[in-house]
Amino acid sequence: MRFNFRTTFILVSLVVCASGALGFAGPVRKKLAIQAGRIITLAGPDIQDGLILVEDRIIKTVGQVAEIPWDAEVIEAKDKVVMPGFVLAHSSSGLDAPNENVPEVPFLSTFDSIDPIDPYFEDSLRDGVVAMLVLPGNNTLLGGTGTVVKPYGRIVEAMLIKRYTGLMISLQPPVQSSQQYEAGSWSYKSTVTTNRMGHMQHLRRYMAELKEYLEQYEQRKKDAQEQGKPFDEEIDPRKQPMIDLSNRKLTAFIYCDKAADVAKAIEIQETYNFNAVLVLGPEGYKAVDLIRSKKLPVILHPNLIVWETNEQTHAEEMKVVPLIFHKAGVKFAFQTDTSQYGRRYLWHQAATAVRYGMERTEALKSITLYPAQFIGVDDRFGSIESGKEASLLFLTGDPLEAQTWVDRVMIGGEIVYDKAKDVRLKKLLEKPKPQETLPKSTDQNTD
Amino acid sequence: MRNCALRLTSLSLLLAASVAYSQEETIAIKAGEILTISGAPVRAGVILIRGGKIADLGADVVIPPDARIMDASNAVVMPGLVDASAIAPVRGDRNEQSNEMTPSLRISSGLDPQSKTLKRILQNGCTTLCVMPGGENLIGGLGVVVKTVGPLSNINEMILKEDAGLKIVMGSDATVGNRIPRQEPPTDFYFRRPTTTMAVAWMLRKCFFDAQQYAASAREEDADLKVIAAALKGVIPIRVNVRRAIDIRTALRIADEYRFRLVLDECTEGYKVADELAKKEVPVVLGPFYYYPTGSSQYDEGREVNWNNAGLLVRAGVKVAIASNGQDESIGLLTAAAFAVRHGMPRAEALRSITLVPAQILRVADRVGSLEKGKDADLLILSGDPLAVTSRIQRVILNGKTVYQMD
Repeated sequence: MRFNFRTTFILVSLVVCASGALGFAGPVRKKLAIQAGRIITLAGPDIQDGLILVEDRIIKTVGQVAEIPWDAEVIEAKDKVVMPGFVLAHSSSGLDAPNENVPEVPFLSTFDSIDPIDPYFEDSLRDGVVAMLVLPGNNTLLGGTGTVVKPYGRIVEAMLIKRYTGLMISLQPPVQSSQQYEAGSWSYKSTVTTNRMGHMQHLRRYMAELKEYLEQYEQRKKDAQEQGKPFDEEIDPRKQPMIDLSNRKLTAFIYCDKAADVAKAIEIQETYNFNAVLVLGPEGYKAVDLIRSKKLPVILHPNLIVWETNEQTHAEEMKVVPLIFHKAGVKFAFQTDTSQYGRRYLWHQAATAVRYGMERTEALKSITLYPAQFIGVDDRFGSIESGKEASLLFLTGDPLEAQTWVDRVMIGGEIVYDKAKDVRLKKLLEKPKPQETLPKSTDQNTD
Repeated sequence: MRNCALRLTSLSLLLAASVAYSQEETIAIKAGEILTISGAPVRAGVILIRGGKIADLGADVVIPPDARIMDASNAVVMPGLVDASAIAPVRGDRNEQSNEMTPSLRISSGLDPQSKTLKRILQNGCTTLCVMPGGENLIGGLGVVVKTVGPLSNINEMILKEDAGLKIVMGSDATVGNRIPRQEPPTDFYFRRPTTTMAVAWMLRKCFFDAQQYAASAREEDADLKVIAAALKGVIPIRVNVRRAIDIRTALRIADEYRFRLVLDECTEGYKVADELAKKEVPVVLGPFYYYPTGSSQYDEGREVNWNNAGLLVRAGVKVAIASNGQDESIGLLTAAAFAVRHGMPRAEALRSITLVPAQILRVADRVGSLEKGKDADLLILSGDPLAVTSRIQRVILNGKTVYQMD
């Protein structure tokens, strides 16, 4: 018996090993042919009854129905609208805690904090997000670097698209008590700043010290070379992200809570020669002219409709934020939050903008192509065109309609979400099973 | 003297004539589609408005030659929305803290006809709303139904129905923060009851019992008990705010005991008791909506959220109204209805749940809630399907007058 089991085990493992080896030996290029009712490519006009050919996770051709290669697996979606997956350019959810309690921690990474089991990622996938930049929160001056992930995978390594992307700079002074600062005073030179004057000063001082450090480092290197000594001193890893920012290897995501912070963000960006994306607060639209003149990309606050009150007359005026930026010709990306009904969906944000007059294709690009560009993954995501990764949404209808559902999500040529198999969604929408009724007690307690 | 009198008479005649003239002006709206709600939709129809009322409507209505024509032939016309539970526009706190039972307080005393939120509410298409007292008192007081016309100097012009509902709160909301202050005598001003769900039920029962006794005897006037007695008789609708299924059942049980009819508010776990609610013909006013519990104590209760609560209740045969119930006014009832449809509510029912059904629950369906001859001319002109997120409200007409126009 035992012998039998052993032989079977060995046989099975041999087969498994062999097939694995074969798999590695010759690259099996998996071909897919997606037949779609309508393709919203966002790289050109929409295509009715289109065909997308995918080879080895990459889109080969997009066009009208053509001959399907004999070896391609056909994915039938003739009653579906296929469009590029949504990209979220800024998010601080899905982390155990988004903010460190000291102001200068550029060396931290959200990669170490992302919790794949957080339902936020599951929801994001269900809502059609295929790539998202998870950045530290808005409560830290130099918060750390972000991570681009797909909202799919059981471990963060499996979710990973790109590490070390974007560095969060918040121009909003931290909303924290001084005690919390004292408690976290392990950091070097941590001082309490609770106003914008001190906050900005903090940043300038950090940059001045960084400059000084680099000059001294170069001097030491030069000295060593002159003296013919080996020089093996490494750059302080705690400073590396800020150096990469100065060298434009990283992009600064600058949070501007108030409209006035935009001017400060531009000052920083110009003084230190950063690549910058502005993450705006609710009143950021007031700085639209400045943003336009500097041609900076913008991530809008999730609150798209702002009521501006005249302090003297108390008269109110409705401001449609995306429309203001759209009319000014500023490229922007939408983001979401869960504070309000509807706002958690990127399509809802785009649809709200369209309601008030934004151009449809631009609105769709603001949830796909533009955010992909801002986070530097537009070579893989953001539109359906040859050479990009097959990360697609299969929708039951028009993407901007409330009655449309994400039917399937494909990331990198692999179907990773199927609404028909979404057990949790089923539970949220369907009638609960009748509760078990307790059996009637047989012993009559007459006490 | 006589001359003066004559002048006065002629002046008043002139005034009366001008008033009559302005009221008699006929507006004819040529609509691409009319969603009457009470009947079938009308394609390419006309609505005649005279004196603030709907004089006639239909596909074959003849437009009088003197009518002012409003062209909406590319648009959809539907009745103004009715929000059966709104918080604006009230100045100050809506919770009276001196007592946990304040049935005879009227929220209309706190109404602010100058409120700036009126404009926001109007812009989202809401022309009628019921304002209820806050949700922290066991018995909060009397609500009022108002038209969202404003800003006005006279509050009475807004009011459509006074004493439109008696607010009762069950579950743990009525007990939040109610504790005996330490080292204070329980007679302290700040000592509020109840502190448990048991006491919530007990205090309600006692209150209803007292009201019945009061109604049966010829005791001296008691404002509070008078209101409760009127509510028990059905003169004032009883609006009970509950979330958990267990509290819904308690409310139904007490309603049976004291034989009164009730309306349930919020009702987050209503889907669990949908069949019971249908059998007892208890209408519900749903909202605010949230995807998951927020973690705040108020919404943690009733945490088993079903996104399709409205749909499941409707399918079981329950009368469902969708209300904002304090949700940010930028959301709007149309969005709430659109999401209800997304999650499984039938389309026609969703449209009724923000118009006719709340009007019926508030007992003002003779005036508002649908487009019918003789009803108030409260209507919305929309750029497209009202349940599409991309559709925009172009114009709001209230009592026959344009009160909002898209710029």
